[in-house]
Amino acid sequence: MATGTLVDVVMPQMGVSVSEGTITRWAKAVGETIEADETIVEISTDKVDTEVPSPATGIVRELFAGEGETVPVNTRIAVIDIGGDGGDEAASDGGGDGAVSAPGTGEGANEGPQEVTASVPRGGDEGPVPGTRSESAAAAPHEGNGHNGDGRTFVSPVVARMVAEHGLDIGAIPGTGRGGRVTKKDVQQFIESGATAAPVQPQVHDVPHFAPPEAPDTSAPAAPAPAPSAPAQTAAAASVEVVGAGEAGPGEELYRFNTIRKVIARHMRHSLETAAQVTTVIEVDMTGVVNLRKKWKPEYQKRHGVNLTYVPFVARATIDAIGRWPWVNAEVNGETALIKKYVNLGMAVAVDDSKGLMVPVIQHAEEKNIVGLSRSVIELADKARTKTLSPDEMSGGTFTITNPGVFGALIGTPIIPEGQVAILDVEAIVKRPVVVTDEHGNDAIAIRHMMFLCLSYDHRLVDGAYAAQFMAQVKQNLERWDEQAYGL
Amino acid sequence: MATKTYLQAISDGLREEMRRDSRVFLIGEDIGVYGGAFKVTQGFLQEFGEDRVIDSPLSETAIVGSCTGAALMGMRPVCEMQFSDFVSCAFDQLVTVAAKQHYRVGTPVPMVVRLPSGGGFSGGPFHSQNPEGFFAHCPGLKIVCPATPADAKGLLIQAIRDPNPVLYFEHKHLYRRIKGEVPDGEHTVEFGQARMHREGTDLTIITYGAMVYTAEEAADAVSEKDGTSVEIVDLRTVTPWDRQAVLDSVAKTSKVIVLHEDTHTAGFGAEIAATIAEEAFELLDGPVVRVTAPDTPVPFSPPLEKAFLPQVADVVAAIEKLSAY
Amino acid sequence: MAVAREATPVSSAADIKQADLDREDLLTIYRNMLITRGIEERGHILYRQGKIPGSFYTGRGNEGASVGVATAMRPDDVGAPIQRDMGVHVTRGTEAWRIFAQYMGRSDGLAAGKDGNVHMADIRLGLIAMVSHLPALMPVAVGCALAFKIRREHRVAVAWSGDGAMARGDAHEAMNLAGVHKLPVVFICDNNQYAYSTPNRSEFGVDHLADRAAAYGFEGVVVDGTDVLTVYREAHAAIERAREGGGPALLELVTLRMEGHAVHDDAFYVPRELLEAYAKKDPIERYRRWLKEQAILDEVRDDEIGVDVKRLLNEAMKLAEQSPLPEPAELFTGVYAEPDELDTPHHR
Repeated sequence: MATGTLVDVVMPQMGVSVSEGTITRWAKAVGETIEADETIVEISTDKVDTEVPSPATGIVRELFAGEGETVPVNTRIAVIDIGGDGGDEAASDGGGDGAVSAPGTGEGANEGPQEVTASVPRGGDEGPVPGTRSESAAAAPHEGNGHNGDGRTFVSPVVARMVAEHGLDIGAIPGTGRGGRVTKKDVQQFIESGATAAPVQPQVHDVPHFAPPEAPDTSAPAAPAPAPSAPAQTAAAASVEVVGAGEAGPGEELYRFNTIRKVIARHMRHSLETAAQVTTVIEVDMTGVVNLRKKWKPEYQKRHGVNLTYVPFVARATIDAIGRWPWVNAEVNGETALIKKYVNLGMAVAVDDSKGLMVPVIQHAEEKNIVGLSRSVIELADKARTKTLSPDEMSGGTFTITNPGVFGALIGTPIIPEGQVAILDVEAIVKRPVVVTDEHGNDAIAIRHMMFLCLSYDHRLVDGAYAAQFMAQVKQNLERWDEQAYGL
Repeated sequence: MATKTYLQAISDGLREEMRRDSRVFLIGEDIGVYGGAFKVTQGFLQEFGEDRVIDSPLSETAIVGSCTGAALMGMRPVCEMQFSDFVSCAFDQLVTVAAKQHYRVGTPVPMVVRLPSGGGFSGGPFHSQNPEGFFAHCPGLKIVCPATPADAKGLLIQAIRDPNPVLYFEHKHLYRRIKGEVPDGEHTVEFGQARMHREGTDLTIITYGAMVYTAEEAADAVSEKDGTSVEIVDLRTVTPWDRQAVLDSVAKTSKVIVLHEDTHTAGFGAEIAATIAEEAFELLDGPVVRVTAPDTPVPFSPPLEKAFLPQVADVVAAIEKLSAY
Repeated sequence: MAVAREATPVSSAADIKQADLDREDLLTIYRNMLITRGIEERGHILYRQGKIPGSFYTGRGNEGASVGVATAMRPDDVGAPIQRDMGVHVTRGTEAWRIFAQYMGRSDGLAAGKDGNVHMADIRLGLIAMVSHLPALMPVAVGCALAFKIRREHRVAVAWSGDGAMARGDAHEAMNLAGVHKLPVVFICDNNQYAYSTPNRSEFGVDHLADRAAAYGFEGVVVDGTDVLTVYREAHAAIERAREGGGPALLELVTLRMEGHAVHDDAFYVPRELLEAYAKKDPIERYRRWLKEQAILDEVRDDEIGVDVKRLLNEAMKLAEQSPLPEPAELFTGVYAEPDELDTPHHR
């Protein structure tokens, strides 16, 4: 559809339900040359952070969105001048999340036949990026969507009605009215665009991207994560709890939530609002597992090339217990519950120097032995930290394990991910003097490797007795590890 | 079709209807020999004679009251208040007698009161008012406020033929300033049918009378400035008023300014705003805004009067504020 | 000093013959006066029985004045009577049962429940319904006369006012406009000496209200309103003169309001002597005496008429009570007239 020499770069849709993306970093500035498939921009979305490969070879002519700016999916974010007579197709040979070329005016006229249509970015005219161009008369509000300075939101009657009629999430609609209020026109454009976009973001410093944390000490369970986040399955309209536009005072730093933070915040809040959360703690004697791991670790490394951690043990023991107590592996919808016979195991992973959290999912974990689980855990944690998870690797979780114990935490009350009814919190393994009873019934004080497991569960479905028995089963599985049954 | 002034259109409508219908007669102060304070009835005395063009004493009560009586006797009286301000002297005859006659005992009162209204030329407190609000509150009266020459003619003939007492407000500031195409011959305009003066998509101004032009200038200004597309709905008649047209436009733009030259509190704009709130609440994307004269008498001195009358700049400011809402 | 002419009383039947009344007419006048008083007396009873809502006004003492003027009007003349003028409605042919229905707010009342008491009129009988704001119908009657003049019709409008309402500007404007254009209108002032509690001396500064006529360029006549025949004669003369283009006249019919402003008012402020004096001049008694003196009425005929009127009123009350109260939905009907309502003999 190229009609000229310009090729658009649009915000790709990273997963069917993703509606917006944030520009993390421009890899190219205006005027620089770029090869097709070379990274032009790094973006962050609800589900995944990724690099966007250039759809064409040429010169970056214009950037329409600044770093830190969030724009709806399919919004044109840059244009590349491919030179020539303009008769060429876009030079993207991959044909992936490419772009269509558009007339230089780019008033959203280039409705392509595929999902790669470009739309006019909104509110980009005050972007800090040199070379960005104003495309919209509407100034980006400096407060969050629908919020004025004091954090209140006003939704006009007509907007409330339209949002209800179309089943939209008001938080997902960029507001151009006073104080960032969502106007009727905003909703109309939102609907017409077919997008399910989130608000235009003001130009503030996004959270800095830190280097991935170093691999945890192998003596501790791998994949540490302080708290879980629900897989962003329902991120269709990423509602955002936006902070008021405060000013950072001396000794303060204003942190504007990045996409991950926003999603975490929303899902945590929503989970607490819907599920009846309660936590049960049980103490497990991990001495047997510790010894087993010590014994098998070198062999394991040699045979499978994978570092053996505690997490796969806990995971395996849990999956087995789920087989007996399946109600902890379920999904509550109103007054029904979907009990799942398979286990898609979510593994909470801290990212961004523990300032972010991702929950990759091991699909059909019940089919995997310790080796398979080990491989999956390591691979997914790695991808999470490098933000190369595919959307599918982040969705469909049925039960989640989180592991703050790696940092020495002893007891926690994690929040259940949305769409699940339980999360198992794996705490630190510590040596403790405990009373042990031998086969003759004699008590003695012994030094044992002890660990607390904390299970947060949804009391709407799971009662305390049920949870306790599930936990007892996990404990038993770990304390009486059956090499034969679980293998290595 | 010929281009005529607003005043000429009124005069023509009146003359044509008098030629068509011998029941139509005129009564008012200085309308005969002098031809009316604004010369609307110039030449009428010569054409229709003293019986049908009656110079009355300074007696607004008797003028309106006698019209009621004549109407009850089958005539089609058209009287003139020399200035609409003077209708206060005939308030009782309109509100107590004419407006309630049909409701009480079923006898129609087909009569027209012509009311040269409005300010803009230092007429002061007694020659500048827009008293339609007083009468809009009175069931049984109809209120007409034409803005264009074509409507001035069409609504006047319609008023004469209407079986009810009709207050016909003709804005003095439009008399010679506004020209437009006026259909020749018999031309009527239905009451209660608003006129779309200008189509727009961003915001609606509901208005009538001279303020239609103020709205238009403001709409031009914002259109040039930033492309804001303003719709202007000219009600044409205040009683009955075209609720549907208003609600339709509200549905379209969701933002409404109600504009009139009458004063603010309990002005007819309040009724429009309240109706929108009641019947179109869920269509609104912003508060219904009124732009009106303030709650003061109409002052005399030019800077004071300019401050009193809604100006183009006032409307522009209201548009910009509401647009940004 | 009075400016207006004071009418000399009718003395003989010959006087009356000159005024176009025959024997039967004279008895009809008598009958109408009886009906007028009977309607108001029975209305008062209904009111005290709680069958009539609102307030209730009577014209006791004014029967001669109202019936006398109405009798002088021709069928195609029009009039706008006030609340003391039940005799006008009766004389013009308004059916008694509809008046009771009107009192009781029934559907068959002349205002169908939309308005009450004497706020009624049947336009087909040439009557225009009064409003409370007296004398707001004076200019309206002038307008009727204006229409007659424009159309060169030989019809006359009669405009009523009370003594109190003559203080208002409407009266002035109406009489002035009528005088300027010499319109065929006759102004009747029912001077019953009290405007609610306010006596004549607090209402006007001239000797007689009829004196004002001179200021408008037409004749004013002071008439004893208790004398139906004199009222008739003067009204007849004024109406016929107006019909012939002689312009308006103002007749001041002096009576005394024999009851309160409305039935809630005991009229304590009216001197007893004055009431006693006027009780002796009761228009019905006075006229009956005259009829008997003139041998027009005997005891037998008087009884017959009395029985007939009583029967008529009893049947009327019964009929009126059968009339339904209006449906609440009627509230919304008739605020505005529809175009086809102009297609009537009156409006064509």
